Amino acid sequence: MQKINKEEYQKRLDRITQLFEDIVLHADEQSTYRCPYKNRFDQCTAKFGCRNQRKPPAKGDLLLCGGDDRIDYRSAWETESVEGALVEDIEYGMGTIEHDGKARKLSAGKTIFDYADELAVQVPTSCFRTGQCHECIVEVKSGMEALRPRNEVESFLRGEHRLACQAVVQDPDVDIVFSPLRRTPKILTLTDEKPIELDPLVTRRGDSVYYDGEYIDKYRGHLYGLAIDLGTTTIVIDLVDLETGKSVCVSSLENPQRFGGSDVMHRISYDAEFGGELRKAVINALNHEILEMGERLDFVRQEIYEIVLVGNSTMRDIFFKLDVQSIGQKPYKSTIEHEYLEGKRETTSLLEKTRRLGIRANPKAVVYGLPLIASHVGADVAADLVAIDIASKDEIVMLVDVGTNTEVVVGHAGRLVAASCPAGPAFEGGGIEYGMPGYDGAIESIHLNNGQTEYQTIGDIDPQGICGSGLIDLLAELRHHELMTPMGVFTEKKQRKIAVIPEHGITLSRDDASNLAQAKAANYCGQFIVMREFGVNPAEVKNLYLAGGFANYVDARNAINIGFLAPVAGERIFKIGNAAVQGAREVLLSREKRESIEELVKKIEHVELETTPDFFEVFVEGCQFKPMPTEFV
Amino acid sequence: MAELADIENEFIRDEIEEFLERPDEIARTIETFANTAPEMQTIAAALIDGDNDAVDELTKEALGSGTEALEIMDDGLISGMGVVGIKFRENFIFVPEVLACARAMKAGMAYIEPILSASGVDPIGTVIMGTVKGDLHDIGKNLCIMMLRGAGFVVHDLGVDTSDDEFIEAVEEHDAKVLGMSALLTTTMPNMGKTIEAFIDEDLREDVKIMVGGAPVTQEFADDMGADGYGKDALACVELAKKFAEEEDEEEF
Repeated sequence: MQKINKEEYQKRLDRITQLFEDIVLHADEQSTYRCPYKNRFDQCTAKFGCRNQRKPPAKGDLLLCGGDDRIDYRSAWETESVEGALVEDIEYGMGTIEHDGKARKLSAGKTIFDYADELAVQVPTSCFRTGQCHECIVEVKSGMEALRPRNEVESFLRGEHRLACQAVVQDPDVDIVFSPLRRTPKILTLTDEKPIELDPLVTRRGDSVYYDGEYIDKYRGHLYGLAIDLGTTTIVIDLVDLETGKSVCVSSLENPQRFGGSDVMHRISYDAEFGGELRKAVINALNHEILEMGERLDFVRQEIYEIVLVGNSTMRDIFFKLDVQSIGQKPYKSTIEHEYLEGKRETTSLLEKTRRLGIRANPKAVVYGLPLIASHVGADVAADLVAIDIASKDEIVMLVDVGTNTEVVVGHAGRLVAASCPAGPAFEGGGIEYGMPGYDGAIESIHLNNGQTEYQTIGDIDPQGICGSGLIDLLAELRHHELMTPMGVFTEKKQRKIAVIPEHGITLSRDDASNLAQAKAANYCGQFIVMREFGVNPAEVKNLYLAGGFANYVDARNAINIGFLAPVAGERIFKIGNAAVQGAREVLLSREKRESIEELVKKIEHVELETTPDFFEVFVEGCQFKPMPTEFV
Repeated sequence: MAELADIENEFIRDEIEEFLERPDEIARTIETFANTAPEMQTIAAALIDGDNDAVDELTKEALGSGTEALEIMDDGLISGMGVVGIKFRENFIFVPEVLACARAMKAGMAYIEPILSASGVDPIGTVIMGTVKGDLHDIGKNLCIMMLRGAGFVVHDLGVDTSDDEFIEAVEEHDAKVLGMSALLTTTMPNMGKTIEAFIDEDLREDVKIMVGGAPVTQEFADDMGADGYGKDALACVELAKKFAEEEDEEEF
């Protein structure tokens, strides 16, 4: 048998002792805020009973810890055996809990998450329902009074939002209706994939992967990048193969920040009060989606080497861990833009390691945030301009990116004028009783014919509501058949509500019409004022590019008739759908595009709509459901 | 300078990528592993993974094929434990995972013990450890055991809910000179005193030094019930055990 030298052996023991000492000291400190029996999956490893123990998702697994890390655990520890602690007699009340038409009887003491399990509703979580990850936010559409009031870990939530894992039923006689905030992402098909000269920053030579010429990783089988359009309402993610330039998969999901308000101004004030929550929500959703894509398409996250992110100024800067408060008050400029204008930085674009932002991709991957144009006119519009290749346009074109915030850019490569119009979420379903985003079951087009309503729903299923393109059709048809005045008043006297699809109970109310009028007016003002500022009438606009989530489904003629869109001849209107993600993809694939947009944004003139002297008059005019004048310059 | 790609073991490369953040630590860890044999990296990987069966098997194999015990300690066990320590410090893993890794390390060290006795290196002492009757809490005790083993003690762990008889039998069987008892509840704490009385009744009290610990236990309480020492944490526990072992050595001469 071999021999060992005593002194050498003692040296090893000393090193082990040193290692263990550090561990024990950290364990002591950690035990003051986290139960030492709780493992990294938040499972309980204790041999004794504890009142924080929860039933595991699968039989035979370790019990889960339901403690909130804010208490001294020792008082919760009992030494009785675990058996018995979990058996409960269930008493049902009169009420039910409902999601998407399916319901279960209520019993006191259960959480919404328990019912989501029973109803097979997918609710995201990564903290094993302990209230830590804030991913399981649900909207309680009715029956909030049946639930225990929000507890401490839910204090960041407002209105009808709750954490599914914390919302405990206390009155089982009241009906509850809920829906999760993050729905299953939709896989989109990319329509127009124009060929582009490949020159990405991430390259491969043999078995080595390089970023801008610097070795970053060994080749693992794929060279992927992500182009992300972070919208206020919707996030679109394009997984791009950096070697072929092709999209591997495009998916869209709801922005999970809805609990912080539906428009950027509310998000900004929410972020002031609960800093980090919005960011956390979106980072979690993106990480989740990356993981899902990896499983679906058989790749690992380490194969994502670069991310190009676009979005309005607020969305982009929240993502990049920046303070967005200055965007919320005059002159509505981000801290980055202020620094740029003061000469403290060369560009408003951002570059950050994914690691620092908490995005789980290759550890060496970086995120490039496209530059901002000005104020609320953000990186998404810069990406739109890349997508329509504005740099090569000598004739006047107009870009209208329709969304919660609509942005308008008019001009040509030599001179460009831009503005942002806070339209609000009405055309994405917000604040409209039967409005909804473009999900399955949304009416996307409507035609009134001899008292008959013909309509088309997404997914060809029974209608649940009306999405943006359907709402534009509806308003135009009501006008066309003179069932509604330009002021949005229904012609049949004293009618507060029109039955749109009576057999499905879908209606449009005066209030809905008024909300849509204001949202439409914002779009109108943006186009009108920017064209006037540039000095061009609609007839002289060579091409009108209509971008945004529902742009492709809009009937342009109807949109022009209600003054949603400038009167440009139909054949000169190009629907370019989600151009922002397309632009982001091009930037991901081409250094030349990246350099050119960096330079271009610096030359764009910005108009602040509200400071235009006759803004209010234009707005009031824009509130009417009638076409925009053809000549105003 | 060594690079990540120089480490043959993929698991270890992934661990470094995934969990290490400080540049100096990354460089140092890469340097450590890049210069070690693939078999040693496999041991380290199994240890980081908390897989004691694998560490057991791999250590046995490595010794069988002639690898030096010191090399196994350096390149397999200690280097692996270094990564565990960093992951724990950064809150990527928690106490239960660390204890699993410590158990895996012990599985490897078990094969070193015969080599030590063959080389005439005696353990610094033998300690019996257990949580008292009626008490099922073991984290603090397990951390003490981890530290004691790391310091070179042979430790026999009686687990939780230990009766007087079990303590007495273990001390006699292993001829242990040190006994450690732990209690976490004020209701079970008095059982320490009862065990000490049982040792007196069996006329064994003079043969063993008894140390006590646990959240509700104080020095005063330890003195009252006639313990030889009180340790407020795992570090103090090792210091006490060392002190008792030295006293024992002096008495022998």
